[in-house]
Amino acid sequence: MTIDELKRYNGQNGARAYIAYKSVVYDVTNSPFWKNGDHVGEHTAGVDLTSALSNAPHGDEVFKEFAVVGKLEGSEQISLVTQTPKTQEHQNDSHELFKSKLKTWYKKYHPHPAAVHFPIALHLFAAGMDILFLITLNEAYNAGVFYSFFIATVMGLVAMVPGILSWWINYNFSMQRAFVVKLIVASITLLLGVVAIYIYYENPHVAYEHSFQGILYHAIVLVTGLNVIILGYYGGKITWGYGRYQTLTEDSKKVLNITKHESAVSHHSASQSISILIGGAAGTGIATLEKILSGAFKKNGFYIFSTKEYMSRVRGGSNTTLIRISDAPIEAPCWKVDICIALDSLALEHMQERWHENTIVFADEAFSEKKTNMILVAMKDSAKKFGNAKYANTYIAGVLFGALRLDKSSLLENIAEHFKDDDVNRDVAESGYEEGMKLENITLPKLPKSDLEGVKKLHLMDGTTASGFGFLAGGCNMVTAYPMSPSTGVLNFMADMSKHLSIAVEQSEDEIASLNMVLGGWYSGARAMTTTSGGGFALMGEALSLSGMTETPAVIYLAQRPGPATGLPTRSEQGDLNMALYSGHGSFPRIVLAPGSLRECIDYGYLAFEMADKYQSPVIILSDQYLADSISMIEKVEFSSYEQRSYIVQSTEGYVRYEDTKNGISPRTVPGFGKGLICAVGDEHDERGQITEDYKMREKMVAKRARKNDELTAEAIAPEISGDGDIAIIGWGSTRGAICESLEYLNNPRLSHVHFAWVHPLGKEQLKSLERFKYRIVVENNADGAFANQLKLYDVKIDNQILQSNGFSFFVDQLSIMIEKSVKELS
Amino acid sequence: MSSLFDKENVDIAWCPGCGNFGILKLIREVLEELEVDKKTCVIVSGIGQAAKTPYYIDVNMFGVLHGRALPVATAVKLGNPNLCVVAEGGDGDMYGEGGNHFIHTIRRNVDIVHIVHNNMVYGLTKGQASPTSQKGFVTKVQVGGVVNEPFNPLAVALSLKAGFVSRVNIGDPLHAKEVLKAAFRHHGYALVDILQPCPTFNSTNTHHWFKENSYVLDDTYESSDFHGALQKAFEFSPMPLGIIYQDKSIRDIFERSIRGEDAKPLHAMTHDVSKIQDLFNRY
Ligand SMILES: Cc1ncc(C[n+]2csc(CCOP(=O)(O)OP(=O)(O)O)c2C)c(N)n1
Repeated sequence: MTIDELKRYNGQNGARAYIAYKSVVYDVTNSPFWKNGDHVGEHTAGVDLTSALSNAPHGDEVFKEFAVVGKLEGSEQISLVTQTPKTQEHQNDSHELFKSKLKTWYKKYHPHPAAVHFPIALHLFAAGMDILFLITLNEAYNAGVFYSFFIATVMGLVAMVPGILSWWINYNFSMQRAFVVKLIVASITLLLGVVAIYIYYENPHVAYEHSFQGILYHAIVLVTGLNVIILGYYGGKITWGYGRYQTLTEDSKKVLNITKHESAVSHHSASQSISILIGGAAGTGIATLEKILSGAFKKNGFYIFSTKEYMSRVRGGSNTTLIRISDAPIEAPCWKVDICIALDSLALEHMQERWHENTIVFADEAFSEKKTNMILVAMKDSAKKFGNAKYANTYIAGVLFGALRLDKSSLLENIAEHFKDDDVNRDVAESGYEEGMKLENITLPKLPKSDLEGVKKLHLMDGTTASGFGFLAGGCNMVTAYPMSPSTGVLNFMADMSKHLSIAVEQSEDEIASLNMVLGGWYSGARAMTTTSGGGFALMGEALSLSGMTETPAVIYLAQRPGPATGLPTRSEQGDLNMALYSGHGSFPRIVLAPGSLRECIDYGYLAFEMADKYQSPVIILSDQYLADSISMIEKVEFSSYEQRSYIVQSTEGYVRYEDTKNGISPRTVPGFGKGLICAVGDEHDERGQITEDYKMREKMVAKRARKNDELTAEAIAPEISGDGDIAIIGWGSTRGAICESLEYLNNPRLSHVHFAWVHPLGKEQLKSLERFKYRIVVENNADGAFANQLKLYDVKIDNQILQSNGFSFFVDQLSIMIEKSVKELS
Repeated sequence: MSSLFDKENVDIAWCPGCGNFGILKLIREVLEELEVDKKTCVIVSGIGQAAKTPYYIDVNMFGVLHGRALPVATAVKLGNPNLCVVAEGGDGDMYGEGGNHFIHTIRRNVDIVHIVHNNMVYGLTKGQASPTSQKGFVTKVQVGGVVNEPFNPLAVALSLKAGFVSRVNIGDPLHAKEVLKAAFRHHGYALVDILQPCPTFNSTNTHHWFKENSYVLDDTYESSDFHGALQKAFEFSPMPLGIIYQDKSIRDIFERSIRGEDAKPLHAMTHDVSKIQDLFNRY
């Protein structure tokens, strides 16, 4: 859009409010700081604010919260990721760190609310006494008035300091009405206080006089009494919001930090990468090899992505691990590989179709003949020299590092870390390395440029671990689950974390018990979750419905694998969306979230608990084998920014569990917390929780639950849109990385990526951004196109679909071709 | 007579003459006499006529699904071990639909009182056989009479080493009260199977029949003898009533083993964020 076009979006008279910053146009219409296109009275919408930011009390981080609507023409910078110069970034860092520390301290002690009650009470006390004095003219009252007024004024000053601190820390000097009013009234109160004290000091008898000073003195004492009521009122509003519950829509997203994050993959192009495929039978140590190599590659300054493909067996068969190393972050697998390592003959055969004409293959001379591009290594024999054929994996790791001329010590370090005191593995690797160095007449792919500094700051983990951290950030403290691939990883992770944190973990007798236990846990105050896959989730349908009816929160981590029935137990598919959306009888609100990157695993894991608790509804997190088992990199995550909130209220006598409130959310309490009793029931009930069949009550309760649904739909997080082409490539959940890299590779300016992580309920507002596209192509890792069908229900026109349900997640090279073909069909 | 645990304004859904009335009274009285704090007591019940009992008691309750009271009660206790937790339901609810949970709750040894109203029939669904129906019992479904071997809850509980196994007849409320009180006092899982007539759908196992076919174990009975108890559990005509088995020794209790001895309620706890940060930074 041009500067002139931008002007039209000034936020006035119902127009949307857009602003530009560093060539990117953001939609700020819904921001409370941009009401009617006006920002703190300083700026108006519809203009380029790039230069104005340097004077702003905030940095450019605020832009992350706004939806990107396009690019401002006539300017050279087009990067979507706003890059701050290094030095400034550093300054911001320490500044932010200080602020976040202060914030933690502040949240813990709440100095302003703690201090503010004294001046409020004392001013009111003084005003009350003064009225008594005016009636009785009793000197005792007069003295009382002055002393309480004097202390009130001093305490007022004491309360103002932390108040201003809080205004900065918690509200970033927001100029919303409540803050402005408070600031003005507080200052006036202080000023008047000083004046009145002065008057009294000059003439302690002034209270008896009808002079100007006398009248002013009484007026001040009475008016400041009123002032503190106003201060208290607005203070309450700021803290508690306007209803019984905070309207968290805008707020929560801010705290959550999740509207837009700079993902590791966001549109940097990986100019060079190498893919290495390792194959062998289950139990031959390819999982170990994956760990050792990825760790060692990281030490060499490469960005890593790795993923596994394995068969449903503990021994034998043929499994593969793919490791990609690159000079920029990547989060997707590729089908054709540059280097292939076969640990046995079956693997060699199994992997053949993934070779391109220049693929270099490492195989054991024991089972393979020499061919072009084939490097024969005596893996088994060399390993046996060290006493056991099982050292073959360590040996080949050494060969690979030697052949690629990589730093030996990084590999040895990782081997030492992994095998602890087992020196033999070290020697094996060293001997492999020497062998690798000897390989000369081969052309190995060129190594990507290493970025030691950049990579050092990143953390290497799989989706399972990231999801686990998300649940911890959400305060999860109970896990009841029945093992089922590929969800078991999270159960294991949480069990392991229970050694460090207070988490009650129990393996249930079946999935029916799992979810029923989750509900029991929430009932008595836990933040409970279960982990499962499709088959187990199918058994949870009835309890899911119970969660809906009893309005008991629940969090379900559903890691998908291909069905029907046992299907392909160790492989991947996005095939359970319909089940997540529709399982459970009757209608009740539910939320379905589908993260697509490590960062989203954490953010949405946290969000799952927030939403479940706040809306007293079930939240389903959809992951899949691919996302759960793939390893990639993530920037440092500040866990202090995920606030652990509790929505449990203390009950009073006469408490009713299903109070018919305006937004449908009834205050929830737990047994023993307050004076009330809780009757939560799965039958239709009245507000008390007594069974009822009264049709009017039924209608009332159905409407109450529906209002809750409306309320939570309003919180739906808009899809992440990258690029400003007119063709939308729409994906959800784990397809994020593959679509992202495919579009980068295709480099077609007409293509934009639209990624949904909040999958249900979809909101009209949330889908608005899809209107601008000419064509919409939906990419899904399933056969039924369930998400495209959802979009159609909301009148989103779908022009083409790319579906795959062969047990693999999308491979970048293959997906790029599919997208290209699909686009061709349209235009 | 009104008691502390009476609930006002309730519409009781039982037939006249139902054994549930006696059990309701029994539970209210036991709670009152044991001075249970109603604010920290939770009754979890499933679905069925029996499972409606807590709706008529002034106490915290969670009315869940058919057969699922036990896993819910287990987690309620795990979330806050300081609560007094009861799981209640009928024989169909607890031994049929919830059979798997019955087995595993006993194995866990959760510190709850498990009350089963055993009328040997499905009441709410109008008269089908229950797991405890006797052979030959004719219903609209079992038209030729029940052919399956009846479920023996006491023997099953004993074989799983339940620490407290008892059976009472609501026709003898004084004896029933004594046993139920002992169940509340027991540390660990306690089963109380209560024989109860269903005047509407079971004309075989009537009030009279239960009286004729049972006897109260006297003082000479040694309830701590496991093998003797196992033998008693298989006696049927007449059925022994009382505490069939009780192990008074200190045993591991589920929620204490997982949460530690003096665990706080989970709602009062949050994770130490800096610990999460440290754990994350290790990756
Ligand atoms: C999943 C499920 N299946 C079946 C039912 C129907 N149902 C309700 S109560 C009940 C059996 C009741 O028998 P019992 O538990 O012995 O209690 P009673 O009514 O005899 O006291 C059945 C089959 C249900 N509510 N839920």
